[in-house]
Amino acid sequence: MENNFENPFHGAGQVGQAVLEPTRRSSPRTPPFPYSSLPFASSNAKSPTPSPSPVVIPPGHNIVAPTLTEPVWETVQRDLSRILSNLKLVLFPNPHREDPGKALRDWDLWGPFFFVIFLGLTLSWSASIKKSEIFAVSFALLGIGAIVLTLNVLLLGGKIIFFQSLSLLGYCLFPLDIGALICLFKGHFIARMIAVFVTMFWSSWAAYPFISSAVTQKRKALALYPLLLMYVSVAFLIIATS
Amino acid sequence: MDQNQPAGENYANPKTCFFHVLFKAAALAFYILSALFFDSFVIIFVVTVVLAALDFWVVKNVSGRILVGLRWWNEINEQGESVWKFECLDQESLARMNKKDSWLFWWTIYLNAVAWIFLGIFSIIRFEPDYVLVVGVCLSLSIANIVGFTRCRKVMLAKWLDVLI
Repeated sequence: MENNFENPFHGAGQVGQAVLEPTRRSSPRTPPFPYSSLPFASSNAKSPTPSPSPVVIPPGHNIVAPTLTEPVWETVQRDLSRILSNLKLVLFPNPHREDPGKALRDWDLWGPFFFVIFLGLTLSWSASIKKSEIFAVSFALLGIGAIVLTLNVLLLGGKIIFFQSLSLLGYCLFPLDIGALICLFKGHFIARMIAVFVTMFWSSWAAYPFISSAVTQKRKALALYPLLLMYVSVAFLIIATS
Repeated sequence: MDQNQPAGENYANPKTCFFHVLFKAAALAFYILSALFFDSFVIIFVVTVVLAALDFWVVKNVSGRILVGLRWWNEINEQGESVWKFECLDQESLARMNKKDSWLFWWTIYLNAVAWIFLGIFSIIRFEPDYVLVVGVCLSLSIANIVGFTRCRKVMLAKWLDVLI
């Protein structure tokens, strides 16, 4: 803590990786200055001050608290690229990666928000009657369903962070969004059913590695069954309203 | 150090203050007035919630930074635990922050939450579960920002008191 006096520019929060790059995830965790980190909800026992390593800082950037003085456009770009990278991670899980459970580390809730709204809108659009109820029901089902599924995993003794799991379940909704979109084009009934089932399997396949790596072997089925149930019910909702 | 600011100083960042208030006011106004113009619940829901979400993003990423020099977010570290990270400007910059700006910042986020609570009570009394959903979403977004920034400020103040004592 002594360097707080000498260094008048001490920023009171650890910024983690070198945040001067647009996607934080891909850079190694070497903060340019010895910040002290202020963890709140964790038992983080690592020592807070690594030795400063020289970092090339582009002009116009604040060294002390980089995200505090970055231009707004950069924040937008950072958030958008994070949404895209999370989406790619979730939808095309690499089976050879060692630890699929930790891949959605940079969780965010914007992607899930857009996907849930989109699904509600598509369902409501394609429904011929009771549009408002369908929208409200689908939003409530997806929202409460995600929360309940997360609680289920947590209560089974699984090691997963609440928001990370919500984020994951929201991103895994993307294939079903595509299925609902396909159903908007009123083609042959069988074709629509096949499309929806394919996307439902894709969603479940995307969510499977994260959920299964979070719980112990014996309880995998208990954690996965509600997940499959929810995606099946969403798929039926899509088919029923189209 | 410019401590003696002239009486009646203006906002240092009028554009940011404007946007800070704009989306909140738009969400509340749309929600309250929409019943007069729109029949469809879906439109009301989507527009209100999108405006509230935009407001959340603006407060968290832009006006929090510029008006009060605070930033908060959540990360998951190597061990897979959730860590709340806080960031603030150094002490000199914070002392130079415009008083009016920060007053506006804090009061508007508190008033926004109070307004949504009122609207929520109304819709509960009128037995409209759909609208309770809208109010619930908007309220949780504003409360998230309030909690985040209050925590950030407390942690920063505690840290400086530590250093001084």
